[in-house]
Amino acid sequence: MKKLYFISSLFVVLAITSCSDNGDRNPHNIYMPDMAYSRAYETYAYRDSATFTQSESERGQKIFYNNAPVVGTISRGEEMPFPLAKDANGDTTNYYASKSIKNPIDTLTEKQLVEVERQYLINCGICHGSKLDGNGPLYKGGEGPFAAKPATLVGDARYEAMPDGQMFYSVAYGKNLMGSYASQLSRKQRWEIIAYIKAKQKEAKASAAPAASAAATAVVKK
Amino acid sequence: MKFHHQITKLILTSILFVLFASISNNILAQDGKSLFMKNCASCHALDKKLTGPALMGVEDRWKGNRKNLHAWIKNTGSYMKTSNDAYAIALYNEYGKSAMNVFDGVLDDKQIDDILDYIKKGPEVKVAANGDAGEKPESDNTLLFGILTLILAVVAFTLMQVNSNLKKLSDDKEGIPAAEPVVFWKNRTYIAFGIILLVIIGGYLTAKGAIGLGRNKGYVPEQPIFYSHKVHAGINQINCQYCHGGVNDSKHANIPSVNVCMNCHMAINEYKGTAKLYNEEGEEVNGTAEIQKLYKYANYTPGKPFDASKATAIPWTKIHNLPDHVYFNHSQHVVAGKQQCQTCHGEITKMDEVKQFADLSMGWCINCHRETKVQFKENGFYSIYQKYHDDLKSGKMDSTKGVTVEKIGGTECQKCHY
Repeated sequence: MKKLYFISSLFVVLAITSCSDNGDRNPHNIYMPDMAYSRAYETYAYRDSATFTQSESERGQKIFYNNAPVVGTISRGEEMPFPLAKDANGDTTNYYASKSIKNPIDTLTEKQLVEVERQYLINCGICHGSKLDGNGPLYKGGEGPFAAKPATLVGDARYEAMPDGQMFYSVAYGKNLMGSYASQLSRKQRWEIIAYIKAKQKEAKASAAPAASAAATAVVKK
Repeated sequence: MKFHHQITKLILTSILFVLFASISNNILAQDGKSLFMKNCASCHALDKKLTGPALMGVEDRWKGNRKNLHAWIKNTGSYMKTSNDAYAIALYNEYGKSAMNVFDGVLDDKQIDDILDYIKKGPEVKVAANGDAGEKPESDNTLLFGILTLILAVVAFTLMQVNSNLKKLSDDKEGIPAAEPVVFWKNRTYIAFGIILLVIIGGYLTAKGAIGLGRNKGYVPEQPIFYSHKVHAGINQINCQYCHGGVNDSKHANIPSVNVCMNCHMAINEYKGTAKLYNEEGEEVNGTAEIQKLYKYANYTPGKPFDASKATAIPWTKIHNLPDHVYFNHSQHVVAGKQQCQTCHGEITKMDEVKQFADLSMGWCINCHRETKVQFKENGFYSIYQKYHDDLKSGKMDSTKGVTVEKIGGTECQKCHY
């Protein structure tokens, strides 16, 4: 009897120690699983397809929920929706029509500029470069993993002449090998970043112009 | 004298002329590579289909007809109208009937020839760097040491037994009466010693195990795709918030949807990095095969346009989990608290597979809240703590010690439990 008691207590000790925190592939033991794993519907929680549906057609039979905001609503502080839809494959009508759409944000305040620059560096700088030269760490002059040359935003006449609306079209729907950034940046952030790019282009032109004129005067003096 | 003057003038002008000519010649003879990089590289690569076809061997495909090729490059649309080139029409249809940018007036004939020469020659073959960048994870030696200890212990016990037997023999010889030596597993001292040891070790392990219940430090689940944070966030310097932008305005650091992966992986379809990939078991992983898994989820065939609406979600396994009765908000910590991701998630930029770095226990949370100083200045979120601002200014509060999270209520129960 005594022996049995001793052996069983040894097993209990072993069982408890086996759930100590060593790195492994399976989640460790839990005292109250109902508390540890939420029963409430949290973000990314698994939804039983027998009760929930994401498709409009099954609305009414099951609980319809697709995480999308109600159609026609705009969240606070957000810009108005872009009036043009994405072109079908091979069509470029809306891409050219987007040229006429004005940027609702013309100037950025000092405070905005800090935040917009941060957003640019996070989302765009990785390809288009922190200096907007189209040479970010993913491209590295052809050495990086990204095979296509990203657009040179400052220093290429094509992008300096590109209207804000057309830039927005490319950011929102993607262009060539650039994907859509609609899921990562809000409309306001997209317009702000475009305003930032335009400001940088202007800045570069302004600093290049005096240098060029200085060079011109130097030539004349000779 | 006047004659001399004329000669020097002549020499000077001729030198200037030669100089000028050589400079302008240099500019004209811009190498094809830089022209290619500037004008073509955003849609074409030499060895890979991007927005447009791979250009290696383009002249062979056009049967060496540079004249047609020039016309096509300058204005694809008008070339299509004026000629009945079957190959050109097929190409146009293959690439979604989208014409190439017009290069008439951008590139002259000489420059196009330069580019074509560059394509013909191909890029210089790079000598592959001898990459021994990937280091193999070290193996664990605990088991070996355990066995060694056991063997040594057995040897020690045997020697002690031999010793007592020998003592008995020598005592017998000298005529000293001595008790029969007790076998060591019947020796009371040994048994008592063993029990004490067992209680101490057992108690320690039980307490440790009980505390560890429900904690997941070191948890490394196998994910549906071997996604290396080391390659993405470390080597390629992609900011954490590129994918997990939700930390700015949400409770959750969102898991990126497939279209975010495809932003880059439309163009990157193979892993060519020098750092080798290892999983938790130390086996090497083929990065290119993992990208193919992504394409399966994304329903994407390289060379065809990507349609985000046809993609399916990747069922990632959640690693960091807090119980239902704890409230945690990422934006509070990242935006207002200005914390780095690494504070709680460890050196993510060095992890191939993500491992839970912190145990996420309450003691761990509270400890950080007690020690961490809040960035009080230039932080709109804390501007309403007027008394603390005044105290800091007047010197009543030591500004070198600053305001900890605890001081602004960071250890109150209902901050996280409600």
